[in-house]
Amino acid sequence: MDVQEFIKRQEAIKPKHDEKILDIRDLDITFKTSAGPIHAIRGVNIDLCRGETVAIVGESGSGKSVSVKAAAGILAGNAIVNSGAIDFTYTDSKTGERVTVDILKKDTKWIRKHINGRRIAMIFQDPMTSLDPTMTIGKQIMEGMIWHFNTPKQEAYEKSLKLLEEVGITEPEKRMKQYPHQLSGGMRQRVVIAIALACDPELLICDEPTTALDVTIQAKILELIKRLQMERGISVIYITHDLGVVAKVADYINVMYAGKIVEKGLADEIFYDPRHPYTWGLLLAMPDLNTNDDRLVTIPGSPPNLLHEVKGDAFAPRNVYALKIDEKLEPPMFRISEDHYAATWLLDPRAPKVEMPEELKNRIQRMMEEADNVN
Amino acid sequence: MSIDYSTGPILKVEGLKQYFTTRGKYVVKAVDNVNFEVYRGETYGLVGESGSGKSTIGRSVIRLYEPTAGKITFKGMDISGKMDRQTTDVLRTKMQMIFQDPMASLNPKKKIGDIIGEGLDIHHMYSSKEDRKAKIDAILKKVGLAPEHYERYPHQFSGGQRQRVGIARVLIMNPELIIADECISALDVSIQAQVVNLMKDIQEETGTAYLFIAHDLSMVKYISDRIGVLHLGHLLETGTTDEIFDNPIHPYTRSLLSAIPSPNPELERNRTSLTYDYRESGVDYNKGTEHLISGTHYVLGTDAEIEKWKKDAGSTVLA
Repeated sequence: MDVQEFIKRQEAIKPKHDEKILDIRDLDITFKTSAGPIHAIRGVNIDLCRGETVAIVGESGSGKSVSVKAAAGILAGNAIVNSGAIDFTYTDSKTGERVTVDILKKDTKWIRKHINGRRIAMIFQDPMTSLDPTMTIGKQIMEGMIWHFNTPKQEAYEKSLKLLEEVGITEPEKRMKQYPHQLSGGMRQRVVIAIALACDPELLICDEPTTALDVTIQAKILELIKRLQMERGISVIYITHDLGVVAKVADYINVMYAGKIVEKGLADEIFYDPRHPYTWGLLLAMPDLNTNDDRLVTIPGSPPNLLHEVKGDAFAPRNVYALKIDEKLEPPMFRISEDHYAATWLLDPRAPKVEMPEELKNRIQRMMEEADNVN
Repeated sequence: MSIDYSTGPILKVEGLKQYFTTRGKYVVKAVDNVNFEVYRGETYGLVGESGSGKSTIGRSVIRLYEPTAGKITFKGMDISGKMDRQTTDVLRTKMQMIFQDPMASLNPKKKIGDIIGEGLDIHHMYSSKEDRKAKIDAILKKVGLAPEHYERYPHQFSGGQRQRVGIARVLIMNPELIIADECISALDVSIQAQVVNLMKDIQEETGTAYLFIAHDLSMVKYISDRIGVLHLGHLLETGTTDEIFDNPIHPYTRSLLSAIPSPNPELERNRTSLTYDYRESGVDYNKGTEHLISGTHYVLGTDAEIEKWKKDAGSTVLA
């Protein structure tokens, strides 16, 4: 089966990609720590349009959380932004015009008032820590509306009931009076989603939203976020290390490694036509339900410590396909298609021709057949 | 080494109940009437959501808890009641546990070498200082660390390396059963694969059995020979990995399998997972009895339920 033809299927249904919401350009961030400066983000570019879902995939410490925290204006105090711009475009509620601001240039007070919770909302990993244990569910959902819009209490209450119904919680009146500990994990995450949606945000950031939940509940939460996104036309950024989650929800995928995006493209391009050796490794490291290979293919070693300056390609020491130039020069983003880019010297015309591992090729072929049979 | 079914199970759990009393009034039935066996050289995977009792079973088996009722037999010895000195010694050496969070389970004030050697010290398992050092060095090498790591402290290691230390500490006792409680879920994807490969290599070399407790079904499928599905303290379905994945009978198992995400976007986008709600399903786990489906495949349920589920399972094909 031809991969390119297969990918065209997603191109046909992909969102229009016109009205830009978020544009992160050349973001470069260092953290000051007692051990020395940590160069956590080394030139990240992400853009996101209305109604789209972008996923950022990477291992812990790759900088995926830091990038979106910068976008939401909630970076830790010891972070220093060396360069870059984060343009966020929203509709002004008074004039109805589209306004573009650079989040990095705004102060915390302005961001609190205009961005956090109101136009960019976040869902975190563990619902128990993001909810206040001393406050009723109802009060926590109403809090944002009252703070941002001075919504009258009665109106806020009615809107909260509707939100709870929308996120699939039964007996909303009863739940409004309950406390977080009286709900199950899946319910709590639904409440967190209801809180995030309370002020009708334009951008929803989900930071590992299902990692703390069980598989069955995970699937339900993902389906819920997807449905809400369709109904409300909001944009979503997913941060996750789980490629299975990504396959279900993402239009575009960014693969991050050591503070850089190493491959980006349409979901289908990343899953059926990956080009970066790190993406190959990530895909192969997941056990496949359909084969009984004796061993999992692993990426040797561990990610670099960003306390030390990275020379050349950060992935080179773990890369079995590394070339000599990888030790000296960092690879640029090579263009593969309109949306698909990868930062590896293997794509340079002068590089020796290297194909993805045979195992991965077979697996992709099988996945395509499987998808064909079902659809 | 392959699985040895001829000599009988190394671990046999019969009617295990583990109840906890809170505030003297409420009884939490964390594990209720669970039966399973683990054979030499085999990997038995226990899956279930959080609160299903999978970790409790592991802890009851290694006697971190006092079982409320039931019989646990390890290497032919009853380890569920009061144990004599000899039985305790066998249990404390031949059965070992790897924990989830390697940072929380390693003493930060101790050197790696001493953490690994602690079991040797307690059970006087070396003849001289040199012998001790040699044993520890050999184990370090076996798990992919170097002898010079002996002098270092846990915080100087990465997550994957720390879990290797956790495995080394277990291996030095030459265990015959290792309980691995969510031992890879705190690690990154690429590191998970490294640790799982290491565990498989060790099993092949030493013939140890694993009780592999996890919630990640694709990893459980990959590593296990047989699987037990737990929900609310009951073992709902057990069988070989193929029996469970090819022919799941219990509606809970079926919903669990339907929820496994697959890295296949064209397939995932249009798929919805099956819903299963215990309260609405009308199933009472306490009324069910074990029914044999085929081979080693058992399902918990009443006669009527089993008939119905079998029909349901036959009519819908799971992806």
